[in-house]
Amino acid sequence: MLLHVNQLSIHFHARQGIVKAVEDVSFDLAEGETLGIVGESGCGKTVTALSLLRLISNPPGIIAGGEIFFQGRNLLKLSEKEMCDIRGNHMAMIFQEPMTALHPVLTVGRQVREPLIVHKKAVRKTAVQDCIRLLKRVRIPDADTRLHDYPHQFSGGMRQRVMVAMGLACNPKLIIADEPTTGLDVTLQAELLEFMKGLTQTEKTALVLITHDLGIVACYADQVMIMYAGRIVEKAPTLELYRAPQHPYTQGLLASIPRLDQDIQQKLRPIEGQPPDMANLPSGCAFHPRCPHAKPRCMRELPKLMQISTGHDVACWMHSR
Amino acid sequence: MTKTRDFTIVRALAGHKIAMAGLIILVGLVGISVFAPWIAPHDPNEQDLYRVLEGPSRLHLLGTDDVGRDLLSRVIYGSRVTLVIGGVSTLFAGIIGVLLGLVAGYKGGFADMVIMRITDTFMSMPLLVLVLVMIATLGPGIKNLIIVITVLTWPAYARIVRGEAMRVSKLPYIEAAQALGASGLRIMFRHILPNIMAPIIVTASISVGINIMMESTVSFLGLGVQPPTPTWGNELKIGYAYLEVVPLFSIAPGLMITLAVLAFNLIGDGIRDVFDPRLRE
Amino acid sequence: MKPFILKRILYAFLILFLVSILIFLLGRAGDPLEKAALSTRMGMADSEVVDALKVQFGLDRPLHVQYYLWISNFIRGDWGKSLFYREDVREMFINRLPITLELFAGFVFWSAIIGFPFGFIAALKRNSWIDASLTTGAVIGISIPVFWQAIVMIYLFAVAVHIFPPSGYVPFSEDPWKNLLSIAMPSFILGTHSAGIISRYVRSSLLEVLGQDYIRTAFAKGLRAKAVLLRHAFKPSLIPVVTVIGLEWGYMLAGAFIVEYMFAIPGLGRMCMNAIFAGDFPIIQATLILVAGNIILVNFVVDLLYGFLDPRVRVQ
Repeated sequence: MLLHVNQLSIHFHARQGIVKAVEDVSFDLAEGETLGIVGESGCGKTVTALSLLRLISNPPGIIAGGEIFFQGRNLLKLSEKEMCDIRGNHMAMIFQEPMTALHPVLTVGRQVREPLIVHKKAVRKTAVQDCIRLLKRVRIPDADTRLHDYPHQFSGGMRQRVMVAMGLACNPKLIIADEPTTGLDVTLQAELLEFMKGLTQTEKTALVLITHDLGIVACYADQVMIMYAGRIVEKAPTLELYRAPQHPYTQGLLASIPRLDQDIQQKLRPIEGQPPDMANLPSGCAFHPRCPHAKPRCMRELPKLMQISTGHDVACWMHSR
Repeated sequence: MTKTRDFTIVRALAGHKIAMAGLIILVGLVGISVFAPWIAPHDPNEQDLYRVLEGPSRLHLLGTDDVGRDLLSRVIYGSRVTLVIGGVSTLFAGIIGVLLGLVAGYKGGFADMVIMRITDTFMSMPLLVLVLVMIATLGPGIKNLIIVITVLTWPAYARIVRGEAMRVSKLPYIEAAQALGASGLRIMFRHILPNIMAPIIVTASISVGINIMMESTVSFLGLGVQPPTPTWGNELKIGYAYLEVVPLFSIAPGLMITLAVLAFNLIGDGIRDVFDPRLRE
Repeated sequence: MKPFILKRILYAFLILFLVSILIFLLGRAGDPLEKAALSTRMGMADSEVVDALKVQFGLDRPLHVQYYLWISNFIRGDWGKSLFYREDVREMFINRLPITLELFAGFVFWSAIIGFPFGFIAALKRNSWIDASLTTGAVIGISIPVFWQAIVMIYLFAVAVHIFPPSGYVPFSEDPWKNLLSIAMPSFILGTHSAGIISRYVRSSLLEVLGQDYIRTAFAKGLRAKAVLLRHAFKPSLIPVVTVIGLEWGYMLAGAFIVEYMFAIPGLGRMCMNAIFAGDFPIIQATLILVAGNIILVNFVVDLLYGFLDPRVRVQ
């Protein structure tokens, strides 16, 4: 197993008290596999991703418990120096909003070749060659001249490709993509995702795909993990999840998007209510105020994540006996 | 600005340690100057030629100056002139600068060009030196100091207000007000001005400190407020002459100037933090 | 880039032109002849003599003609004669400039070696007692009037303990060590004030930069904290600092005038201060024009530096 996350908890110290941004999250990821993490903003998906690289800034954030095994090593036990050797080298992250995630006053070339210089001890000349190669690989036209340009001189789609090229620089075993296609138009989205899909097949790269777009997940993920209020509410192989969603939240999410295989007459149903206040979570199951099937027990007790069939876990009292 | 927003800002300021420290110093200084006749142990101009340049004693807590006047009383009374000059010149310069800045920023065009050229001209000069030259030309005195400081410092407001007004007038709600047929004056004063008060107040607060510093410098050099009127700058001028004999004489008024400037800087910093942590020049 | 620079140069000259008009009017408002008549050994001149002198100096001609004569002479290098010293103003300038430049070198030295490290340390140790004391020190530093700081330091280090001379200037050629001693305290006083301003801006802008997404990206690439700071955070954090140096430049120059005056350093500042007291307008006007020219030049350099630091500006 390339990545094994076990009972991860991440807390933030805020003025209103401790915010449990991520609580009791476990999952596995094998080489060449793609895991989709889906949820509303603030549900803890980005925080989970950042914690894999140990990039949670402390203060205010702290990894309160759990284990992250990557290539057999527990990342939470490594020194900062050892962690630096992993970041950008064996595990890379592609951020959302490339406009702010790319350095505004450094040339694109410098930014893309930086991981090579840091990790592969590349000399400048070969690094420049590799950099051009990388930019060509993500299909940036005139790579050898655009190298000297700054991020603001690129279009949104091109900037996102630069981010991808930067992530690919050292051929990492795991790429974490945080909403990589937000703000791109549909054709660019598909092209970028196809490209990353290709990587998982040819290079056996594992991919963590964070998104709120269930459509993207359906096409590209092998497994899907649905998060709500910092916890996993459902985890299943992609086909299984779309075929037979078990958690009321997952069902609500799927009912709120249009599907080609359904009758057009059927109305889209939004999920009632507001996303929870993370500093002040509802008792019991955090979803109960919005859940159409809520029972008194849901208000009192937190449901555990239970396996209901092979590889399909749900945290809901409806499915426990 | 709604009432609730005002209230939260006041509450936020109250919780801001730096701003509170500044406010406490300021309240203390204003209190001293308002209640000077009751606080001061002596008449600031009463001379006692038998007790010249004495150190601290029961009778004169901070000692006496070169003609036997009570130093403590002079420092207490000195706060009046200094604070009035600092405050009044800031008020005048603020009004002129805000008006011209609003016009420049909202109307743009020719008015903007003229006002900004004047502003850039003033801001390319060493202000303090210019104050000295103009005071030397016009002659000393409180009124002239206020005039000169006002004339030289309004461009700072104009520049800031212009920038902010330009930014705000591009916002949708201003366009909405224009579409509804609001007059230019109404838009400037009812819609733009209330929304750019934060940077104006910050500038004003810091500006009072700078003006106090200017007044003290000019008085210290003997060109400002004329003796026997007590100001901190005047006291320092005498004290500096007797630095080796009575060092305390130079310490007390200087400390007061520093405290006053510090108070306004702290308040300015605090307001800036509270209104918008990202608000910087 | 080129049209931008050209436009900027033209604008700088326009402002310099406006400044010169202002300075010219200031000189006329002071009616230099009457002032000079009072302050020189001419004694109380009667109005007929003054009128005759006015004709002699061309003061009876229309203002714009007077301005034209004055500014064209100035550009040609004829800055007039000091009313008080009866010396050529340009000569006086050239003689005193090196001393002021030395003071300024010291000033830049102090403000840089105090301002930048203090700001950096405060930002990196954010919310610790180190940060609190450095930040407090900075705000006190900018609140102390230059002349009072001078008085206190003279008392502490020249009167109470004789480390530095209380005033005066020893040329470097005469005694290098004494020269350094005589310049150390005045330049330090100037330096601490601007160091306060610089460290505040360095702190706040570095904190803002460190909170940006691109810094997280740099960490995600596997860079060590030190490399992130030097290669990614340093350059963008300088942008607001450079801007504020341009804005405060005039203020810092004025401080130098006061310091030179108090420490009896025979540089440009002291010459101008004495001229202000004596109403010696040829000197005042020449100083003001050159100082304003310097401020305009510095702001021009700041704009260029801005383009160098921030490529986004270059395109516009």
